[in-house]
Amino acid sequence: MLSPEENFKITRVGADTPAGKLLRRYWLPAALSSELPENDGAPLRVRLAGEDLIAFRDSEGSVGLVEAYCPHRRAPLYFARNEECGLRCVYHGWKFDKNGDCVDMPSEPAGTTLQAKVKIRAYPTFEQAGIVWTYMGPPDQQPAKPDYDWMRAPPTHCHVSKTYENCNWLQGLEGGLDTVHSSFAHNNKMGDSNMLRNRDRAPRIEVERTDYGYSYVSHRNLGPDGSYVRVYHYFMPFQQVRAQVIGWDGKIYPVARNFGHLWMPIDDTTTFVYNWHYAINPGPELTPDLVDHHETEFGRGDDDVIPGTFRLKRNQSNDYLIDRQVQKTKTFTGIEGVNTQDYALQEGMGSVVDRSKEFLGTSDKAIVAMRRLMLEAMKINEDGGTPRGLDPAPYRKARAYDALVPLDDDWRKVMEDDLVAKW
Amino acid sequence: MLTVAENERVTRVGPGTPGGIFFRRYWLPACLSTELPEHDGAPLRVRLLGENLVAFRDTDGNVGLVEAYCPHRRAPLFFGRNEECGLRCVYHGWKFDRNGDCVDMPSEPAGTTLQAKVKILAYPTVEKGGVIWTYMGPKDEQPPEPDYEWLRAPPEKRNVSKTFENCNWLQGLEGGLDTAHSSFAHNNHMGDKNVLRQRDRTPRIDVERTDYGYNYVSQRDMGDEGLYVRVYHYVMPAQQMRANTMGWFGGRNEVPRLDGHIWMPIDDHTTHVYNWNCAYNSTIEMTDAWKAKREADMGRGVDDVIPGTFRLKKNQSNDYLVDRAMQKTQNFTGIVGVNTQDFALQEGMGPICDRSKEFLGSSDKAIVAMRRILLEGITAAENGDTPRGVDAQSYRMVRPHDRMVPKGQDWRDAFEEELKAKW
Repeated sequence: MLSPEENFKITRVGADTPAGKLLRRYWLPAALSSELPENDGAPLRVRLAGEDLIAFRDSEGSVGLVEAYCPHRRAPLYFARNEECGLRCVYHGWKFDKNGDCVDMPSEPAGTTLQAKVKIRAYPTFEQAGIVWTYMGPPDQQPAKPDYDWMRAPPTHCHVSKTYENCNWLQGLEGGLDTVHSSFAHNNKMGDSNMLRNRDRAPRIEVERTDYGYSYVSHRNLGPDGSYVRVYHYFMPFQQVRAQVIGWDGKIYPVARNFGHLWMPIDDTTTFVYNWHYAINPGPELTPDLVDHHETEFGRGDDDVIPGTFRLKRNQSNDYLIDRQVQKTKTFTGIEGVNTQDYALQEGMGSVVDRSKEFLGTSDKAIVAMRRLMLEAMKINEDGGTPRGLDPAPYRKARAYDALVPLDDDWRKVMEDDLVAKW
Repeated sequence: MLTVAENERVTRVGPGTPGGIFFRRYWLPACLSTELPEHDGAPLRVRLLGENLVAFRDTDGNVGLVEAYCPHRRAPLFFGRNEECGLRCVYHGWKFDRNGDCVDMPSEPAGTTLQAKVKILAYPTVEKGGVIWTYMGPKDEQPPEPDYEWLRAPPEKRNVSKTFENCNWLQGLEGGLDTAHSSFAHNNHMGDKNVLRQRDRTPRIDVERTDYGYNYVSQRDMGDEGLYVRVYHYVMPAQQMRANTMGWFGGRNEVPRLDGHIWMPIDDHTTHVYNWNCAYNSTIEMTDAWKAKREADMGRGVDDVIPGTFRLKKNQSNDYLVDRAMQKTQNFTGIVGVNTQDFALQEGMGPICDRSKEFLGSSDKAIVAMRRILLEGITAAENGDTPRGVDAQSYRMVRPHDRMVPKGQDWRDAFEEELKAKW
């Protein structure tokens, strides 16, 4: 439970809010690289943490990210001409480069001094792992670039996608740090006792704080088969990392993988979820079939998305096409798609869930721990300190893992090497 | 005319508002029985007095009505599983019965004490007259179950339907207590002197307060034929009762009957209108064909309603398909459907009519009386007193009537037996 004040503080992300200032200390995902496919191509509308921006890939292939409105008379730069390493407003021809400098001002007399004075707000960017990252915080506090294990995996071994979610980012992150719900919401084979997460639905959870956030472990007691141990990571501010070495049915996958999401706030009430998925060991590649299978299982296959958008066809407006008959006989929710099930629950809480009305149990330990870390980090940031997860050193060799561990063995010893990044 | 402050008092119905406290002293219609057709069927979203709820018919056929969000982490119970006498949240499997008790908590360790502590807000329900009624007020003030005469008529002698209205409830009720407008807005045979209500368009109105609200009488002078007398009831908080034993053209109606509406606030700006008819007595046939025609005449027949909803096809978005040529020659409004005519006028006043700007005449006597008694009822409820119409004894034998009365005869004498319930 949070007080209404805490809930307000932790969820609002505008530029002048405590959480907004905290998020702006980190490099953040702004867009997929594939949304800006060509040099001098069409500009892209980007809304990040409540700010309206425009991204463009300039003549040299670098990505600019500037305020959405021309500083002159606030005309929309979305309609601008992307040409010769700059974005030219189509109202009066003013042109800005990716650094925000005004490089041409043809509507003023030659020799104008105005051009040197005008700047447009511009955020630095870099591209890696198929994502355009940006830093929106104070220039003198810009941290080192993010360096997660999955970002170092080559494109043959890593896949990234993006989905729109119609609620506050924290509802998404809380679902991502909640292994327990997968025994219920993601039970897609009701009554099948081969499903590991059906065999123990009240896992024991341990949280361990780290310099990047925390790692947390869930133990499901499978009797003679041992303990089904899943080690997750929370990378601050809003990334989840989980393992898929063992399948839902207990079989070992041919390619050991980690999955994860970043819940990037568009604004206070909408979110872009970046979904990544990679082979954690050099070796067999992520084949297109594996990728397709994964994206479809999670509800965002090619046929699941409204063309030209990142929105799902199964959404709030049609109750996610819930099938009550399927709910009675086959799956716990009657909704198709693992993450679609999540969206039904998270979006259904309303734009920003009222956490002063909730009732938490021991199964919510990781969620409580995350909230506490977030509130602490906001305080640290307000006091001028450095919040967790900014420095890549503590997390760059971290990865998630899951395995069956004999009940008497120490999972830390058994998994010691498995938890170390190999890329 | 009301002051701005009075208008707020009589129109707002959310929890904690004076109007909301008042409404919550009565049994209120929550939905039609037909909206929950089967045991363990799909849960139904219900919004009442600004509260989001979910209704479900449990395994035993009883109807539960609970808060729309699971008390755990506020996931939407609309997606819940309706099974074995309870609603199970699909996020973590918590299950609640219709009394609001948590009857299973599989995500917590066996023997958890949390289960006994967690309750979900649940309102009692009773099913009568094809309607599911609920009581949302203080437990120790719960009145006896509703017992309007029409609720006692057998299903084959009554007809109940429901329509969505896009404005505050009071605009609907005021139309229902305004016999004068039927000489205008519902004049569907312009220039036809056989229509009783055209022959005298300024009826004399008398209001008499009762323990359930009031009754009011309109008398239209039909010359040699006597007085056309109609006795209506306002049964608090939001019900109108009127008789139609006579036809629009005089003489005995094809199906002599009683009619009425209840204007149930969804919230401050939207309303569900429950429409009922009940045969005059057990000798009167009320066939399905007649019911269908009756609903069509009122503007809410099968072909008039957007399928799967309670919304009319002729609505605000298309100006109720007003036909200006028809308006010139055939009917007073140019709109087809008696209650559709009402909706055009009531919804057109805006979400909440500004009653500080109106100008009332003697024909508005019943409306003024209703507002006064409503304001008194609100004050009574605020003070912890029992408002009129809560006690079923006050209204259970009450019925409306209409008939031609020879001049010189007192309608009270003429109607003495007719105003007593026959069911």
